[in-house]
Amino acid sequence: MVERQLTISRGTKRSIVKALLSVVLTLAVTSVVFLINNVNPILAFIYMFQGAFGDINLASETMIRMTPILIVSLGLAVSFKCKIWNIGAEGQLYIGAMLGTIAAIGIGGGPLSLLAALVVGAVGGLLWAAGPALMKVKLGINEVITTFLMNFVGIYLVQWMISYPFRSPDTYFPESSAIPSSSALAVILPGTRLHLGVALALALVPLVYFLLERTTFGYKVKVVGENPEAARYGGMEIGKVIFVSLVFSGLLAGLAGITEVMGIQFRVRGSLSPGYGYTGIVVALLGNNNPIGVALASLFLAAIMNGSSTLAWTMNIPMGIVDLMQGLLFIFVLASEPLVRFLERRGVLKL
Amino acid sequence: MAITPLSSPFFEKREVNSTPQNEEYAIFLKNISKTFPNGTVANQDVTLGILRGEVHAILGENGAGKTTLMRIISGILKPDKGEIFIDGKPVKIRDPRDASRLGIGMVHQHFTLIPEFTVRENIALVLATSPWLDLKKVDEKIAAVSKDMGLEIDPESKIESLPVGKRQLVEILRLLCQDVRILMLDEPTSVLTPIEVDSFFKMIMNLKSSGKTVVLITHKMKEALQISDRITVLRGGRVIRTIPTSDANEALLASLVVEGMLPAPTLVRGTPGDIILKVESLKVKDDRGRIAVDGLNLTVRSGEIVGIAGVAGNGQKELVEAITGLRKVESGAVKLLSQDITNKPTRFIIEKGISYIPEDRMHRGVVLTMGVHENLALKCIEKPPMSKSKIIDRRSMVKNAESLISKFSIKASDPCTSVENLSGGNIQKLIVARELSNGGLVLIAEQPTAGLDIKASEAVHQKLVELRSMGVGILLVSSDLDEIMKLSDRICVIFGGKIVGEFMPENLDVERLSRLMLGAE
Repeated sequence: MVERQLTISRGTKRSIVKALLSVVLTLAVTSVVFLINNVNPILAFIYMFQGAFGDINLASETMIRMTPILIVSLGLAVSFKCKIWNIGAEGQLYIGAMLGTIAAIGIGGGPLSLLAALVVGAVGGLLWAAGPALMKVKLGINEVITTFLMNFVGIYLVQWMISYPFRSPDTYFPESSAIPSSSALAVILPGTRLHLGVALALALVPLVYFLLERTTFGYKVKVVGENPEAARYGGMEIGKVIFVSLVFSGLLAGLAGITEVMGIQFRVRGSLSPGYGYTGIVVALLGNNNPIGVALASLFLAAIMNGSSTLAWTMNIPMGIVDLMQGLLFIFVLASEPLVRFLERRGVLKL
Repeated sequence: MAITPLSSPFFEKREVNSTPQNEEYAIFLKNISKTFPNGTVANQDVTLGILRGEVHAILGENGAGKTTLMRIISGILKPDKGEIFIDGKPVKIRDPRDASRLGIGMVHQHFTLIPEFTVRENIALVLATSPWLDLKKVDEKIAAVSKDMGLEIDPESKIESLPVGKRQLVEILRLLCQDVRILMLDEPTSVLTPIEVDSFFKMIMNLKSSGKTVVLITHKMKEALQISDRITVLRGGRVIRTIPTSDANEALLASLVVEGMLPAPTLVRGTPGDIILKVESLKVKDDRGRIAVDGLNLTVRSGEIVGIAGVAGNGQKELVEAITGLRKVESGAVKLLSQDITNKPTRFIIEKGISYIPEDRMHRGVVLTMGVHENLALKCIEKPPMSKSKIIDRRSMVKNAESLISKFSIKASDPCTSVENLSGGNIQKLIVARELSNGGLVLIAEQPTAGLDIKASEAVHQKLVELRSMGVGILLVSSDLDEIMKLSDRICVIFGGKIVGEFMPENLDVERLSRLMLGAE
C-alpha cells in the first residue's frame, strides 16, 4: 500500500519525459539561434540563469514574474484536464484586474478592501469566462473561438475604461488611479518587491492538487475530459462540469490580474500583462496539467523571461528571444507525445 | 488422448517439413515471448506455423494470449523474444505498415473505422498513395473486391449508420482492398447475430477458396470446429497443441482450453413477482432521426429475466438508451414501480435503481486511462463511503476495488492500474462487477458476455441468476440466442422497433422465433 503510493506510475513517468524532452529541444534550437548570432550558447544560458537567480533581488523578481503565470496556469490546468480549451485567460485577467482595482479604490483602503478587491477581481475573471462557458454548454459553440475572441473585447474594454471613465486625473497616460496603499499586498521579504501574492500563488498549488485529486469535482473533470460518453453513462451532468471547470479557470485568471495590480503595479495600465494569459497555456501543457508540474513550468518560463532581459544588455540579444523560446516550447510540447511514441516504438526509449 | 496426426489426409498432404523456412507456411512464429510492463506474461515461447491457404483457429480463454500474439504479428506490439517468418523468410515487423507491406491485415475486436466517414472514404484513406484522391479508382477497387467476395455494401453509407455486422464486413473489405493475403480476425463473431454468423462463415470460405490465409481468434469451440482447417489451443500464453480440425471434438478441445471445466449449471427458473419496469407505447428516434422504437410495450417483473431476442439494429440500442435516460423519448412512457422516469436525467434513473451493462464497453462502460478503482466507483463516487461532503476517500475506493477484483476474479496487476492494461474480457468483468454491486431494482444487460470466454460467461450468468433470486428484474438484450434461451424466464422478440412475439421457455418454438426475428410473420 505504502509502496504503491511511492512508485511513480508509468503515465507520470511518461509526462515527465515529455516535458524534459520539450525543454531540451527548445534549448537546443535556441542554441542554434545563438550560434548564428555569434553568441556562445552555454555562456548565454549561464547569463540567463544568473539573470534569473543571480542574487536575492533577481531571484525574488523571478518569483514575482512567476506569480501571475502560476495562478493563471493552475486554473487552465483544471479546464484543460476537462478537455476544455480556455484560450481567453488574458482577457479574463484584464477584466479581473480592472474590476478588482475599481473595488479597491471604491472601498477606499483597509483590510476589507484588500479582501474585497481580491474577491471582486477573481469574480470578474469568472464572469468573463461565464459567457463562453454558457455558449459552450447551452449552444455547443466551440470555446476555443469564443474565449479567444473575448480576449479582444476584454482588453479593449479595459483600455477604454482606463482612458475615459476610470482614468487617473493625475497623469497624462491612459491608466487608472492607484489603489489605496493599505490595499496593496504586503512585501514579505524586506528589501525586495516580493509580495504576499507569491505566497498566495504557491498556496494554490496544493489546493488545486487537492481539488483535482481528492474531490468528486476533480474526479468528474477527469472522466468528462477522458471519456464524455462514460460520464454521460455514469449519470454526470457534463454541462455543469464543463461550465464549472471553465469559469474556474476564469476565476484564477482574474485573481492573477488583481494580484499583479495589488502586488506590483498598483494601478491598471495597458501594459499590465505581457501575455501571461497565453504563457499560462504553454505552462499548463508543459506541466501536463499537474499542479506540481505547472509550478515548475511556470518557474521555468518566469526564469526565461527575466533571464533574457539580462541577456539583452550583456550579450546584445534582443528581448524577442523570450517569444522565440515560448513558441518553441509550445511546438515541442505538442510534438512530444508523437515523438515519445515514436522513440518507444523504435526501442530507443523504454517506459 | 492419442492423436494420430498422419491419419488426417490434410495433415499428410501439408505437414511435410515443419521448419520455419518452409515456404508452405504463410506465417511461422518461433519462440515468441511477450511480457507487459505491468508484469503480465502474455506469450511464452510460442512456436506456431500457419499454412498458406488454411483457416487456422487460435482457441483459448480470455487472457490466454491470443490477441497479444496477433498484435505482435500485425506490428502493433513488439515481442521481447522470438522470430517471425513470412513465407519462409525471417522478417522484422516494426509497425502495422510493415505488416501491411507483407500482406498481413487484422480486424480488431474493437473496430478501427472512422464513424463519420463513408465506406468509400474509409477505404480511400488506406489506399491513398498520392495527395490526390482518386475516388473513381477506389470505387472500382471496392466494386471488384465486393464482387469477388460476394459482399453487398453501399460505398456511400456512413459507418455510424451501419449495424455492427456490416461494419465488420467493411473492415474486411478494407483489408481486401489493400491486397492483404493473410487476414487475422479477432473474435469476429462476438458482435454478430446467428444469421450474420452464417453469412460470415460463407465469406470466410470464399476467402479461403480465393487463396487467402485466415487466422481466426476465438474462444468458441463450436465455431473453431465448424470453420477451421486446424486449431491451435493457447492457454496461459503457451501453445498447448495444434491439431487438424478433423481430429478434434468438443470434449478434446474443452480439456485443452481449460484445466478442469466447470460443470454445466442446471438453471432454475425464476419466480417472477410484481411488475417493476413498464414500457408503454414507447417511441424513440435513432441518431439519424428515424423512428427506431415504434410504440413498444414491455414489462419486467421483479425476480424475472426477460430476454430480448432480435437481429442487431431493430431498436434494441435505442430502447435501452431510452430507459436509461441516455436518449430522448419522443412519446410513450417508462415507469419504474409507480414512478414515471420518462426523459429523466440519467443520474436520477441510476439513483432510482436501474443498473446497465452497456454493449460498447470501451467507449461507454469505462474510462480507459483511469484506474480500476476509479472506474469501479463511476456510479457511486458521490455517495459514502467513496466520498464524504464531496471529498474522495481514496482508501475506500481501493478497498472496494480489491474486494470486487477478488469476488469477480478480475485479472489486474493492482487495484489502481489503468483499465487500458486489462484485457477485453477483464474490462467486461469490471463493468459487470460495478453494475451488479450497485444493488439496483432493475438490471439492463446488453450483450453481457460478448467476447467473454466460457468461464467468464458462466460466471456472469451465475451472477445474473443470483441477482434474479434476490428479486432484481433483468432485461437481457443479446444477439446470442443460446444465452437468451438459457437464462430467460420470458423471451420477447423485437423487430422493427416493436415486440412482435413472446415465448415462455417451456413452449419455445425456435423455428418460429427465427421467423419472427426476421420479420417474416
